[in-house]
Amino acid sequence: MSTNLKISNVTKIYPGCVANDNISLEFESGKIYALLGENGAGKSTLVKILSGVIMPDDGQIFLNNKVLKLNSPIDAKKNKIDMVFQHFNLFETLSVFENLIIDSNETRENLREKIKSTMEKYNFSIDLDVPVLNLSAGQKQKIEIIRCLIRSPEVLIMDEPTSVLTEQETSELFSSLKQFSEEGILIIYITHKLKEVMSICDEVAVMRKGQLVSVSKIIDEKIETLANKMVGQNLKTVKKKISKEKSKEQLIKISNLNFSSEDPFETNLKNVNFEVNRGECLGIAGISGNGQSELFQILSGEIISESNSVLFNNNPIGNLNPQQRREYLMAFSPEDRMEQAAIPQMKIFENVALNNFKSSNFFNGGLINEKKIKEHSKKILSDFSVNTDNVELKSQFLSGGNLQKLIIGRELITSPELLICFNPTWGLDVGAINYIHETLIKINEQKKSIILISTDTDELLKLSDKICVIYKGKLSKIMDAEEVTSEKLGILMGGGEIV
Amino acid sequence: MKLFKIVKRDEASKLIFFLTPILAIILTLIFGALIFYFLGFKPLEALKFFFIVPINNVYGFSELLLKATPLCLIAIGLSFCFKSNNWNIGAEGQLTFGGIVSGGVALLFYGQEGFYILPIVVLAGAVGGMLYALIPAVLKTYFNTNEILVSLMLVYVSKLLLDYLVVGPWSNPEGFNFPETRQFSESARMPILFEGLRIHAGIFIALAAVIISWVVFYKTYLGFQMKVSGFSLKTAKYAGYKGKTMILLVFMISGACAGLAGVGEITGPIGQLHRMISPDYGFTAIIVAFLGRLNPIGIIFASLVVALTYLGAETAQIFLQIPKYTGQVFQGMILFFLLASDYLLFFKIKFLGMKKNELRH
Repeated sequence: MSTNLKISNVTKIYPGCVANDNISLEFESGKIYALLGENGAGKSTLVKILSGVIMPDDGQIFLNNKVLKLNSPIDAKKNKIDMVFQHFNLFETLSVFENLIIDSNETRENLREKIKSTMEKYNFSIDLDVPVLNLSAGQKQKIEIIRCLIRSPEVLIMDEPTSVLTEQETSELFSSLKQFSEEGILIIYITHKLKEVMSICDEVAVMRKGQLVSVSKIIDEKIETLANKMVGQNLKTVKKKISKEKSKEQLIKISNLNFSSEDPFETNLKNVNFEVNRGECLGIAGISGNGQSELFQILSGEIISESNSVLFNNNPIGNLNPQQRREYLMAFSPEDRMEQAAIPQMKIFENVALNNFKSSNFFNGGLINEKKIKEHSKKILSDFSVNTDNVELKSQFLSGGNLQKLIIGRELITSPELLICFNPTWGLDVGAINYIHETLIKINEQKKSIILISTDTDELLKLSDKICVIYKGKLSKIMDAEEVTSEKLGILMGGGEIV
Repeated sequence: MKLFKIVKRDEASKLIFFLTPILAIILTLIFGALIFYFLGFKPLEALKFFFIVPINNVYGFSELLLKATPLCLIAIGLSFCFKSNNWNIGAEGQLTFGGIVSGGVALLFYGQEGFYILPIVVLAGAVGGMLYALIPAVLKTYFNTNEILVSLMLVYVSKLLLDYLVVGPWSNPEGFNFPETRQFSESARMPILFEGLRIHAGIFIALAAVIISWVVFYKTYLGFQMKVSGFSLKTAKYAGYKGKTMILLVFMISGACAGLAGVGEITGPIGQLHRMISPDYGFTAIIVAFLGRLNPIGIIFASLVVALTYLGAETAQIFLQIPKYTGQVFQGMILFFLLASDYLLFFKIKFLGMKKNELRH
């Protein structure tokens, strides 16, 4: 029995963003398909459509050449499409068995038999009567997989299945997946990890910014070609910044920085060392989820580290919070504009007040000095060409580009010595991207420094003086931007070595 | 074919934000009337006894203010917590503990007179409530406990403590073993505002709380930080606000307000400690806070509306023999309809015409 799943011209539009732009794909059973893309590329939206969680605005899905109308996850399950989500949906205090029977209407005895035979067949060994909370992440995932298998699925979708697994567990998962595939289950494997794609998938579809970039056989691809498809505008010649005489004066130094998180969905940082001189831009490349967010938070002070692990102007500041760091003239532009850098429901001037440095006098004696904040906000709006002069406007009415200009403006109006920014142009249109890039170049010209953490290789090559790559929480060696090519970055981002 | 479609609003509507509490009240009245009808009462007459008769004379109106005072005060305190995403459900416990502490102090001054006594008693109540609210706050900030559970369970702890005190060590030696303390001395009582009415000076404390909270919310750095934390904890962290201190602070403010409400009750209409110093004002104030949209002015109105359900239930019991617990039914309905109509804040109902391109739905 063979299964054929076809996605035809599927489009899904969210306010302000096209999550899936006219996507067409075809899958056949017996193969493992990779759906590859950065965070926000639209993979999740696509598989949510396939599993009935959301409905497309346009387009159709065909299963074995019949139109499939999926109004809910139940419809998907009825049509034998099952999905293992990245975050486990398990009741921690219930036993494994209880978790498995929750959404089934078969009798307990029947089900126990079925589960046992399924587990034997695939060599899974889990005690069915222990509470889930005692199990490792790999075992929990097996429960989720068993839950799908007992419904004998025809299509199995795995969403970032290895993000919480150890190496050992990952290789076990891979051999199971191969076994499922040989038995005729169509497997769609969603990931942004290139090595995994290379090692278990047969075909790969790459998505970027809501669009399907390419569909190809794995044997025709290499890690770096995939990396480029995923993150860059594919080797389009980009103009590097002309670097002038560089100062050797060190501004920030990170030494022996380690971070280990209790949250399995976060990345641990291992022995991070780097320094940035005045007037310099250090680019940190990498595929998202390799520790960039953790590194940003440590640099901004949202995560406190040992005081000596971060030296700024020779001051130990590792244990200071963001507000205290601002007093040393550091500025931060986080990745998430809408949920972290700004509050969309608040007015522009209120968002400006988030950067409250002492000399601003925004809050005198504990009272809000609205007049002062508004004056300051007006200056930001005009200096950074935000397309409004109404400081009372709620920030949610600004476009992404204008909001980012406002944020960068808010951070830069204090003339900081160092700006740390994380994906500053993510999701912006070309005009806004250019404006932000020009602004960042201007800062360097004024002998101010930048740490640019970005998943956009072209952006890094254009703006950086020095570049390194972060992979699984470790930094590669730091290279001069002149000697870096996107091929080299691609290899490093995929976990490879370069000579 | 669908006749209508639920569409997400681009922006939460400001008008709807203040209209939904009114909508909730109207729905409550309609469904209340239905309930009365099915219970065999004339709906309009029952509603009249519930909502109009209680306040159609000066005494009734003063009773309304008397009941609204603690509700308003507690709800103002709670709004500090709720605005910054801290879910203090235990105001009733903080009220009780504040009452215990201030009552204890008032008993210390038994038989003594002096202008200084009342301020000390009031302060003791505020501090008592504040300390009691600090327990869930400290456990939340340093041990990651859930403040909803801890604050709620502490309500029963304080109620049992009060029980123990009024039947045990603090019971009135000449009280024939009734579970109550001695009457406080005149100097430990809230001054009565008008001869013959029970309304007391506690109302000024509530009004002061309204004004202070308005200033704090809208004019101070503290209020700004609370607003930011309420919208997004990630942003608060990024801006460098001290999250833990803020949690402790809002709990302390909230506890102090609840404690003051307790003081108002025992030094006002009650005049002693006994088992029932509050008809669940601490819980009902949660409804008041949300009905008033966590806005100081809104809370004033909400506290009057909800206080009326207390009075109405009593009147209806007297004149129509409707159980007074109907009052709680009304309070429950208000909250239910408010939460339900909040859906309209984020979604709108779009009626579909017979447009050609929509026929295939």
